[in-house]
Amino acid sequence: MAMLLVPHWNHIPVWVLFAYLFAFLWRIQAFRGRVELPGRWVKVLLAIAAAIGVIVSYGSLLGIEPMVAYLLTSFALKLTEMSSRKDAYVVIFLGYFVCLTGFLFSQDLLLVLYSLLLVWILTAALISVHQRSARLKDVRHLRLSATMLMQAIPLMLVLFFLFPRIPPLWSVPLKSHTAKTGMSDRLQPGDVSSLSQSDEVAFRVQFNGAIPPSQELYWRGLVMSVLDDSGWRTLRYFEVPASEQRSAPVTTVGPKLDYSIIINPTQQNWLYALRYAKTDKRYIRNLPDFRLYSPVIIENEFLYPVSSWPDSRLEPRLSDWRREVETRLTVDQNARTRALAEELYSISSGTQEYVNRVLSFFRENAFYYTLQPPLLASENAMDDFLFRSRRGFCEHYAYAFTVMMRSVGVPARIVAGYHGGEINPVNRTVIVHQFDAHAWTEVWIDGEGWTRVDPTSAVSPDRILYGLERAVAAEGSFLADSPLSPLRFRGVDWINGLRLRYDALTYRWQSWVTGFDGSAQLDLLRGVMGDISVRKSLVLLLGTGMITMGLVSALLFFRRNPKRRHGFNAELHRFQHLLYARGLARVAGEGPSALAERAQMRWPNQARELAAINSQLQRLVYGEAAPGLDQQRTVRNLRARMRRLRLSP
Amino acid sequence: MATSISSFWQERTQRWLARRIPRARTVVLDQRRIFIFPSATGFFFALCLLIMLVAAINYQNNMSYALTFLLANVFVIAVLHSYANLSGLNLTAVAAEDAFARQRTAFRLRVSSESSRGHYSVKLGWAVPEEERRRRRFLVGLFSSPEMRESIEVDVVAEGSQECRFHLQVGERGWYRPGRLRVESVYPLGLLRCWTWVDLDFCALVYPSPKAAPRQARATEGGDEGLQIDGIGDDEFAGIRDYRPGDSPRRIHWRSIARGQELLTKDFAAVVSDTCWLDWGAYQGLGDEDRLSALCHEVLNYHERNLTYGLRLPGKEVAPASGDRQCKLALRSLATYGLTQEGGE
Repeated sequence: MAMLLVPHWNHIPVWVLFAYLFAFLWRIQAFRGRVELPGRWVKVLLAIAAAIGVIVSYGSLLGIEPMVAYLLTSFALKLTEMSSRKDAYVVIFLGYFVCLTGFLFSQDLLLVLYSLLLVWILTAALISVHQRSARLKDVRHLRLSATMLMQAIPLMLVLFFLFPRIPPLWSVPLKSHTAKTGMSDRLQPGDVSSLSQSDEVAFRVQFNGAIPPSQELYWRGLVMSVLDDSGWRTLRYFEVPASEQRSAPVTTVGPKLDYSIIINPTQQNWLYALRYAKTDKRYIRNLPDFRLYSPVIIENEFLYPVSSWPDSRLEPRLSDWRREVETRLTVDQNARTRALAEELYSISSGTQEYVNRVLSFFRENAFYYTLQPPLLASENAMDDFLFRSRRGFCEHYAYAFTVMMRSVGVPARIVAGYHGGEINPVNRTVIVHQFDAHAWTEVWIDGEGWTRVDPTSAVSPDRILYGLERAVAAEGSFLADSPLSPLRFRGVDWINGLRLRYDALTYRWQSWVTGFDGSAQLDLLRGVMGDISVRKSLVLLLGTGMITMGLVSALLFFRRNPKRRHGFNAELHRFQHLLYARGLARVAGEGPSALAERAQMRWPNQARELAAINSQLQRLVYGEAAPGLDQQRTVRNLRARMRRLRLSP
Repeated sequence: MATSISSFWQERTQRWLARRIPRARTVVLDQRRIFIFPSATGFFFALCLLIMLVAAINYQNNMSYALTFLLANVFVIAVLHSYANLSGLNLTAVAAEDAFARQRTAFRLRVSSESSRGHYSVKLGWAVPEEERRRRRFLVGLFSSPEMRESIEVDVVAEGSQECRFHLQVGERGWYRPGRLRVESVYPLGLLRCWTWVDLDFCALVYPSPKAAPRQARATEGGDEGLQIDGIGDDEFAGIRDYRPGDSPRRIHWRSIARGQELLTKDFAAVVSDTCWLDWGAYQGLGDEDRLSALCHEVLNYHERNLTYGLRLPGKEVAPASGDRQCKLALRSLATYGLTQEGGE
């Protein structure tokens, strides 16, 4: 039973584990007869204690995690009071539920296989509940349960593909307690570098066609236009006036990239894509700062196809409101930085040249690219960074660069997202990890529109060309917190090969099964059935159902093949039945001779026939065939006689 | 009104059952005879599935859908498995022992497997008669089994056989049929209840219940058989002789065995007459059943004391004899007195 706990280990409080241990020990002791099972009041108290524990741990009982925690705890407590068949049912059905809740957190292939194992064991337990002489480790239950699950699979698949994916019936408690992963919509110095400690996969991309060089892969996710006291943040929906809500029309130029992305759950709304992205996916919006936004939180793996035109000009003409927003700066901060910016701007002839001068400033001074940047002062952070520490991660450089741009009235903003990615040679997908998180800037240049400038490239060209691992190799800080991450063993060929193969499998799994939603369903069904009609679906469903049931019954009943009775027993039975039908029943303990005698008395006109039948029966019983006849012929003879018998009722 | 409707239904069901599963000594269960319906647990499970489906829909979670459908299909597949568990089960009525009225007697039943699969957790039993049963609501009745008078659970291995004994209370004098036997199983998952009502051709002979009654002097037959004897104290201990094979164990002189001597038999001699007629006519003024009860009492009494006796009933006479066989014959005659050939004798 504790096996059920495994998938949940990382999102339940520790005390639940103790509850299990406690329940288990209690159960064992009770089994040995040392202690009593808890009485009713103790149970009530325990249940209340569990509820209080959950509330203390999570703050409320609503939401998935507290519910799952409560479910698991009650599961543990139920173990202590399990004594009848009914309790066993409850425990087993609870177990199925726990399996299901595991899926709400992750639909990873391994977890699915593990849950299948659990379902198998639970079903076997359900069977053993009904076995009278239940030995605990009876392989037969496991075998039967495996058989039943196997037999259930074909119809399950059909149902899975046919069942309409209807939208949620009501809004469900959000996974409020799950840590949001990936970029947040606020950016402070140090955020990205801490994210870069994680080796989790952020998303996987499959390109139709060639994969662009990895230094070109800037996955835009968030656009930070507002600088306030606590750092950078995106524009809120209500801060954008109605006239600016629609993104400016973009004339697409240059080559088009088609790709699809499967993003792992982030508990956030934004989606990542290359520059100027459009998607056919329903409900996905294109925000005025040219990024994709999902109105619902990404709680599960989510697949979306994207088309991108990287060479398109974004917003060649800037509205006054937009210009005002993108150049706004807190006046009384970072005086030295502003002075430096104005100095550099005054010697530049245009925006482009100014940008280059700022980048050379970074390049020519002793700035370091590091995963372990020192903390900056809260006041005048950029002055502190540019003139004192000079050690920072990408967000530091983007921050400083944008401040310098805005100080002289050049519209600029920070873009957060991921850069690069690992190409999996097995299936040609690009795997983007959390440590690929990156922040860069966009500068609005007259005539060009928003142009991407990555100040990090000035400081650490390796980061852009080869990725983070190479860039911080000297520091040795890559994935410093996760010494066992398979990514650290990329040098070992077989481990790496295994990792990439598993990743390819995961991608396939995600794109086939977990990314399967309403529209994918329609596509698939159209592909299989031509047009979709209720009739065809029903035919498919019933057809599969019937075939499965047919096969299963064939399996169950084919071998049954009732042994044909033959010989004495069958004939005696036949004889008795014949007499019985005519109203002469055999009395308990009465042999065939006595029966025949009574029959002769009752039907004197058939007495000779009856006597003959009796004597033939007698012969059969001793296995002696009548002279010249073998056993079979005796039987045939006997049957003919019985058929000829005319008995009045 | 309700009772009349329900009794109407019961009648209909009984008639339908009688057509579908006629009375027989041996019944092999097959598809015509097995009924199947989800049990209360099954409904509970369905409810759980529904909740799981709602969770899957609300969280748009594909694996939850898959799990729900998988379990739902296991439920469907279980129909076949539950059915297969009973199918091929062979039930044979072996024998029913005779009993006195309103006492318990043993019904012996052989359960054997005719298939290559075993039959597990098969519950056999007789339901409490309709009139004694607590009234249950229709829905409750639908997914729970009726109250049982006597039930046992057996596992029958493939091609194996097993004998069960039921001790049921029989009714009044005459032939007693215990009614339909309920065969039921929830194996393998407990979600579905498979059952059938089998009418096994069991017939127990019920003797009258023994009841002492004063015997009256016969007016018509007085004096023709010599002395009238009063029932009790009319035999006397005559002595001890060597044991001869065939002596009743009741007459063995146990005390001598305890002393380590040889096997000895007590010899009795009836004072007046060894032969005595127990007569229907001796109980004037009593009802038929009371007479039979009184005669029954006498038969047992005489048998106890190992006397020779005969029995006279209107239209039937049992010649004087003694011993177990005589006792049985006499009791059977009493039991079947006035009955038509219902039981099959």
